[in-house]
Amino acid sequence: MARLVPDSDARGELFSAYLDGQLTPEELEIVSELLDGDIQAIEEFRSLQRTRVSLRLLPEFEVPANLLPDGHLGDRLSAYLDGELVTMEHRRVTRHVVDCSDCRIELQELDRARIAIRSLPGVETTMTGEIPVVAQRPQQNHRGRLVAGGIGVAAAAAFMVGLVVGGGDQPAFSLDDLSTRHVARASAEPGFSVLPVSMEVALP
Amino acid sequence: MTNDFTPTWEDVAQRYGRKIYNFAYRLTGNPDDAADLVQEVLLRVRKGLDSYQPGSFEGWLWRITRNAFLDGIRRKQRRPESALPEGDHHSLGSSPSPDEVLASVRLSDDVQSSLLKLSYDYREAVVLCDVVGLTYDEIAEATDVPVGTVRSRIHRGRKQLRELLTWPV
Repeated sequence: MARLVPDSDARGELFSAYLDGQLTPEELEIVSELLDGDIQAIEEFRSLQRTRVSLRLLPEFEVPANLLPDGHLGDRLSAYLDGELVTMEHRRVTRHVVDCSDCRIELQELDRARIAIRSLPGVETTMTGEIPVVAQRPQQNHRGRLVAGGIGVAAAAAFMVGLVVGGGDQPAFSLDDLSTRHVARASAEPGFSVLPVSMEVALP
Repeated sequence: MTNDFTPTWEDVAQRYGRKIYNFAYRLTGNPDDAADLVQEVLLRVRKGLDSYQPGSFEGWLWRITRNAFLDGIRRKQRRPESALPEGDHHSLGSSPSPDEVLASVRLSDDVQSSLLKLSYDYREAVVLCDVVGLTYDEIAEATDVPVGTVRSRIHRGRKQLRELLTWPV
């Protein structure tokens, strides 16, 4: 049975959808027949094809850099170290850190700072708010840890400056090692230190 | 992006920021409007990701993008600014980046200025198909019209564009 010949507009629409790979098998047959020896149809098809190519060859602009995040992990690294990321997010961060040397270095520095903070001696406060006694470990007293954290921030800042200035001979760092230590930490007391003290606070 | 995967805001920004920017740029011909749209879309995505139900992420994202774009146009219509002539806006506003300079070759300028002369529905369909690279189904979902309408709009848009272009096609 002879097919109905599509009018000019319907024919153009078929050609357009053909170029985009959006035809049904039946429509594909119609297009094949239309393009079989019909000079006018072939010319129309080619003209449409060139228009489509000119659109697709439009240059792609870069997004201004200030509109996008820099692609690194930022504060998620600290949450990662503290075991505060849920499973999917944790995997995503792990994948990124494996591939991104910038974030790996930042994670390493954060980890050292974190260890340094956690190994600071705790401070007991009195009812009047004075700080008379330096305790041996912070983890027995939650309030004491908070105070130690405050002091630790300053110490960590100094420590980070030391890392940047000193550079060079830092201990080797691997994600496996980090992961093992943090699994161990999670099962231990908060603030528990796995590495030898000399390594945790090794200043350059 | 798979259907059961919900990306983070940063993932969306990194993966789609450029496409969103180019979508807006080609619809408006204006880098400032394109930058505004990227910011607005990323803001909406950030707010919306909490309530996003895993499904067609592309459809969801481009619906947000389109709505943000149309809202921007409506806002401008309510508070008209000094109108820019249609066509090439490269010489106006912020200084051109190397990419923009590259884009100022005659051919792409001609295509861009012709695009801006299409009616919005045709321009949107053509840009989503040929610039962003969505399928007809994805465009239908993003624009909330049947696939047949998408197909017709793309064809008519291209046909008008062919007639508008000053170089022989």
